[in-house]
Amino acid sequence: MRIGVFVCQCGTNIASTVDTERVAQEVKKLPDVVYTTTYMYTCSEPGQQEIQRAIEEHNLQGVVVAACSPRMHEPTFRRAVEKAGLNRYMFEMANIREHVSWVSNDREANTKKAIELVRMAVAKLRFNQPLFPSRVAINKRVMVIGGGVAGIQAALDCADAGLDVVLVERRTSIGGKMAQLDKTFPTIDCSSCILGPKMVDVAQKENITLHAYSEIESVSGYVGNFAVRVRKKATYVDWKACTGCGVCMEKCPSRKVPDEFNEGLSFTRAINIPFPQAIPKKATINRSYCIYFTKGKCGICAKVCPAKAIRYDMTDEVVTEEVGAIIVATGYDLFDPSAYGEYGAGQYRDVITGIQYERILSASGPFGGHIKRPSDGREPKDVVFIACVGSRDASVGRPYCSGVCCMYIAKQAILTKDHIPNSRSYVFYMDIRSPAKNYDEFVRRAQEEYGVQYIRGRVGKIYPRGDRLVVQGMDTLLGIQVEVEADLVVLATGIEASRGARELAEKLHISYDQYGFFMENHPKLRPVETNTAGIYLAGVCQGPKDIPASVAQGSAAAAKVLALFARDTIETSPQVASVTERACIACGKCIEVCPYGAIRWKELKGGVRKAEVITTVCQGCGLCNATCPPKAIQLQHATDNQILAEIEELCA
Amino acid sequence: MWSEITKKLQETVQNIMPQVEAVIGWERGFNEIRIKPVVIKKEGDISKLVWNPFCVQNLSGYLVKSPAVIPREGRRVAICVKGCDSRSVTALIQEGFLKRDQIFIIGIPCSGTVDWRKVMKRLERSSVIHRAEIKDGRLMVEHAEGVEEIPLREILLRRCLRCVYPNPTVSDVVIGETVSPHIEKEDLYKDVEAFERKSLDERRKFWAETLSRCIRCYACRNACPLCICQDWCIAERRDPKWVTQKPTLKDILLFHGIHALHLAGRCTECGECERVCPMEIPVMFIKEKLNETTLRLFSYEAGIDSNLVPPLLTFNPHETGI
Repeated sequence: MRIGVFVCQCGTNIASTVDTERVAQEVKKLPDVVYTTTYMYTCSEPGQQEIQRAIEEHNLQGVVVAACSPRMHEPTFRRAVEKAGLNRYMFEMANIREHVSWVSNDREANTKKAIELVRMAVAKLRFNQPLFPSRVAINKRVMVIGGGVAGIQAALDCADAGLDVVLVERRTSIGGKMAQLDKTFPTIDCSSCILGPKMVDVAQKENITLHAYSEIESVSGYVGNFAVRVRKKATYVDWKACTGCGVCMEKCPSRKVPDEFNEGLSFTRAINIPFPQAIPKKATINRSYCIYFTKGKCGICAKVCPAKAIRYDMTDEVVTEEVGAIIVATGYDLFDPSAYGEYGAGQYRDVITGIQYERILSASGPFGGHIKRPSDGREPKDVVFIACVGSRDASVGRPYCSGVCCMYIAKQAILTKDHIPNSRSYVFYMDIRSPAKNYDEFVRRAQEEYGVQYIRGRVGKIYPRGDRLVVQGMDTLLGIQVEVEADLVVLATGIEASRGARELAEKLHISYDQYGFFMENHPKLRPVETNTAGIYLAGVCQGPKDIPASVAQGSAAAAKVLALFARDTIETSPQVASVTERACIACGKCIEVCPYGAIRWKELKGGVRKAEVITTVCQGCGLCNATCPPKAIQLQHATDNQILAEIEELCA
Repeated sequence: MWSEITKKLQETVQNIMPQVEAVIGWERGFNEIRIKPVVIKKEGDISKLVWNPFCVQNLSGYLVKSPAVIPREGRRVAICVKGCDSRSVTALIQEGFLKRDQIFIIGIPCSGTVDWRKVMKRLERSSVIHRAEIKDGRLMVEHAEGVEEIPLREILLRRCLRCVYPNPTVSDVVIGETVSPHIEKEDLYKDVEAFERKSLDERRKFWAETLSRCIRCYACRNACPLCICQDWCIAERRDPKWVTQKPTLKDILLFHGIHALHLAGRCTECGECERVCPMEIPVMFIKEKLNETTLRLFSYEAGIDSNLVPPLLTFNPHETGI
């Protein structure tokens, strides 16, 4: 084989701690290596042309580029060699930046290691084979998991572009957390007034299929051809018949059901429609409070329902949806403040969370939009807001900033003043984070026009005095202890990963971080892609963000899906497992360990069984190869011979 | 006592003979301490069957490895198993190589089998054995140059001295009284632990010296009932080229490493690999380390319960301990 080696200096990224010239000279001595050179930026256009020129001039059959991590530029160089007529798999990359020059300043040791890595790449390249991708048709339907604002935006954008969309929502209505909010910062426009029309759009678009009150059971397949099993949970109401008239809810005798939508501040009925703007506006029976289910007799809803839609014998139904791409927009949950015993959340009824305060402020909330204390219904005069409850605090396992609390506190303080002009608001904060457009001006307005008292410091203790609460804290700017008597305390609870996020990630084969947020493919350059092709992220499931950012990501994910679907077929990577049939001893171990169900039995003449790889399902993880005792199953482009050649070279 | 069990064994086989295709058992070899496997297919041969502490072989390999005794559809093959052998059978069932209803298992509790090499070493130059008898925990050997009496414990195989499952874990019929193990279960890996306390240099030296004796005859692999690649063993193939034919320590080490790792989470410690090694290399010791790890990480022992899934034969993202 005639091999060319290109050693990249990466400006000074590599050249400053690796003697790239020496690397090039040393590897020139290797058998089969006929051409070596160094280049300032091999990934640049002239750098790529240099490779193509050398392929032609020196009749190269294989190319090694010693540069950065293959994660970013392997596709770049593969395209470059392919343009010059080589098969794209006759290319190897040695990572002498992340693995060498950035790790140590020892120039001598770095150079030695760089030479070793290039030698290994050359050794592997000698065993490379031209590989060819196959093409499979794309199923141009998209599934959006999660019907919050990010998911709604993604679904609408895809639907507007003419795609068939399947929207799956865990709760009985779409809308997510945004539907619970009263107003939105920094414009103070009504949350449900701006979200409502989008929710209605979802219901009205003919090409959106909505599965509300449904969860993902399992996901199989691959980019372009996923099969998702969706569990439609039993609502005990035939939604096709239900008109959403609400008579059942009015007549239901089970009246002490905590209202989830109102964050437990009021009661709803065992059969209910969660809120007036719900989409779909259909009733659902809450089995654990329904008298018919708990005591065995009642049946009032069935009697009063004018549409005869009640079905007590309904069971969960599992439907399979076939889609070509999946957008995950599962949102978030809020930190449980009971971790902070000193704040007395759960102990004092007038210590509430930010989202509870949203419901109190809302005209459709538990008190009809009048600010009242949950304990005695009295209008509060002094309201204390405490920031960073479950944010930026490693001691509760939440070292990250939730990014929205500073802003929603300012908004809630402004709204408090609007509702009760003679009220006073106090904010205990660590720092104010308001970096987006018009955000800092908004916080300033709260301080300057609305007279909100900002006290920089943490609260140490909250305790009752009479029917009020004493908030003891530190003003670190003045260096003194402060004590505020409050009628109501609002804890700005932070964002945490949605419950069940990890389980869903495992079903989708996407990665998640230590807090349960889904991992993007690249934090800067591929923010809505996951590591699994065909699965995209939108909204807070990827990390804390506010409504504008969530909406932007929803649209971004939709754009990615549209780009994917712009073609009719998709290339499947040839870097998959393949079975050497004569060596297969039919032990079936590969079938047992395959995480993707990509291996099955194949029956030959005479009933002889052999393992067979479904190449379109195989993700190339290599577990089967590691497990196969006679190594009959090999991972293309990472065969035993290729890996062994690298080890042999390194240990030589 | 051994003749009584042998008699019962022959009676049992007599009774089941009409239902089975063949019976895999042991028969006398060229002298009384050398026993060999036998496959009984007709009633006239039943008298060949014996049971005594010289019945060292694990016969379960004959159920799966070529030339295997495979029953026709709807028929069964009977096999005689000791405690250790029964675990191999269970492991083969777990991995789908055997169907439980295809085999009839004759279990024989075993208080330990004799290492004939240890006996021969005691006899020094004399190699012709006229008669051997085990009585009251002692072996009495009449040989060409006299009579030798040896306490049984001194000539048992290493595997038997550390056996904790002397009674069959699976069987259709049991012949003989239940026996108690030689050691407590918590002492099973005390040799491994003691070895690990040695320095890296000492350990490297031990394996370098020990493995340099290996002649790559592959007897260890051939005797292992769970080494199922047979003609496709990568030790004898050059594509993929894991090992070469060169007699270097590197190739030897790689072979034994592959052999052991292929048995990770599967080895039942029947000790056949070590028993058959002509160079007396303690081959099972490598697997003991892997089994110790398997037990620690997964609380799993191979070949105990045919309903369990071996920990390395599944993909479980919720796996704990690792």
